[in-house]
Amino acid sequence: MTSSAAVIELDGLSVSLGGRPILSDLRTSLTGRAIGLLGPNGAGKTTLLRTLLGFYPASAGTARVLGHDLNGSSKAIRALIGYMPESDAHIAGLTAVRFVRLMGELSGLPADLALERAHDALFYVGLGEARYRRLGTFSTGMKQKVKLAQALVHGPPLLFLDEPTNGLDPPARKRMLELVCEIRDQGETQIVLSSHLLHDVELVCDEVMILKQGRVAERCDLERERLANRSFVELELLRPSEAFAAAAAELGCEMALIDGTRMKLVLPDAVGVRDLYLLADRHGVGFRRLDCKRDSLQDIFLRAMEAPSGGV
Amino acid sequence: MAVYERTWRRYDGPLTRLDLRFLVITRYALREAFSSRLFTAFYALCALPTLAGVFLVYLSHNSGLLSRLGATQEVLSALTMTYLGVYMFIYQAVPAFFVAVVVSPTLIAADVSDNGLPLYLCRPIDRRDYVLGKVGVLALLLSPVTWVGGLLVYALQALMEGHGWWLDNLRIPLAYLVGHAAWITAVSLLSLAISAWARFKPAARSGLVGIFLISSGMSAALKLSIHSPWIDLVSPIKVISTIVAHLFGASAPGGIPAWAAWLSLGAVTGFSLLLIHFKLRAHEVVR
Repeated sequence: MTSSAAVIELDGLSVSLGGRPILSDLRTSLTGRAIGLLGPNGAGKTTLLRTLLGFYPASAGTARVLGHDLNGSSKAIRALIGYMPESDAHIAGLTAVRFVRLMGELSGLPADLALERAHDALFYVGLGEARYRRLGTFSTGMKQKVKLAQALVHGPPLLFLDEPTNGLDPPARKRMLELVCEIRDQGETQIVLSSHLLHDVELVCDEVMILKQGRVAERCDLERERLANRSFVELELLRPSEAFAAAAAELGCEMALIDGTRMKLVLPDAVGVRDLYLLADRHGVGFRRLDCKRDSLQDIFLRAMEAPSGGV
Repeated sequence: MAVYERTWRRYDGPLTRLDLRFLVITRYALREAFSSRLFTAFYALCALPTLAGVFLVYLSHNSGLLSRLGATQEVLSALTMTYLGVYMFIYQAVPAFFVAVVVSPTLIAADVSDNGLPLYLCRPIDRRDYVLGKVGVLALLLSPVTWVGGLLVYALQALMEGHGWWLDNLRIPLAYLVGHAAWITAVSLLSLAISAWARFKPAARSGLVGIFLISSGMSAALKLSIHSPWIDLVSPIKVISTIVAHLFGASAPGGIPAWAAWLSLGAVTGFSLLLIHFKLRAHEVVR
């Protein structure tokens, strides 16, 4: 193991599929207990997970998962991971318990123990009463749960959850997120959650990597962000003013423009709301609305999306 | 973990051997195959050619029964040798093919159509293990009704005959072993390749039967216009017949030489492996 702390280390990882570059020169080290992979559709989140599982070959660079290098230790990596795929995936002819048991045995559990843990995992995800039903008869929500059960059955130290709330109704989604938080809080398993839903990631994760067009657009420690209590201001002007925006930037404010009149500002320590009023007066613009609020994942995400591509 | 606790825990206990993990796939698939009573009954019927061989050996060495039937031992012995020498092989190979037709689509097509492959391949097994596990199912199913049965009848006959008969006829067990091994490998890989590409069970089944029937029909039709023995290479039935004849030292029914037939079988096997290699992936890349 090269580093005991890093869950995932990306070292110039690039992936091309069908001649198109999907991931380009990813370099970062993720150490969180629950890591979120965030990004719009097509950003490369799923491709990254699949590459780490050895499904896709890296065209350049490498990655390490829990200290195991992707090049040459693919099986060793997969032995440490429980994977819940994004798309519908099951083996229709089998009952839930038989399916989960098979997955447990393929991960190396002895047959009797795999059976015991298959029952446990199905009860844990809330499918105890349906465990003798064939998977082909399951609803979407039940299929999501059984996918989680098969990822958990062998008790892996690392879970890859790819859009775990896909296709779930609000109560089922809430229950799924509660389950994931429960697993996280028990502290025995680290989680990598891929999602385009900010709320899911914000609820579950303490570290986030935002992907944009196959590059790392932002990486942040959500815990630290939450603790930092930085000053955020959401501002709406009466009319668009580029001069005001430029002046605010000169003051040292980090800024994300939502449109011509709306913007989000991060105020540096030396700058207060009063300074913004003075600035507005100087440039002859009025405020329609001014909200002071703490930074949220949404802000970080928007900032990352608006920044020019190039990676961090 | 007790069910009532509903908690989550890691597993740090002993694991099964990684190099034999593919046998889990074989075990589950075998159990699935025999969960159908219809298939179990059909499979039992596949043992009939072997049982017929056992009966012939028994009959040819039972003078009391022979005299009651009014048959001579010489005639029965010759009949047994002919049956054991070629016919039993063919009678075993044909039902074995249909066992593969029935079972193989359930092995891969179901996994492909329900997107089950990522679930297998996200574990510490790779595509080679997966294919080994699936081929293992067909090998275990087809072996008892083919070469194991052939060797059993040969052993029984050798036991009854004595006097070095087994040594004089050593070609027979070798033919059963080599011929059926080649047949099982080719049919298994071809059927798995078709079921991987066809995705749906009925399509996979008809595809496999279709390949045998269509190519044999095509060969016969081509022979009407092109009078060349090499056309037989297109017909799997002619290819197999030539290989069987070669193994048993009999004259080949078709005009193609034995080496060409072996080469043709090898090409089918290799092509099937290529098809499996290209199709069996956790996720397809859309170009």
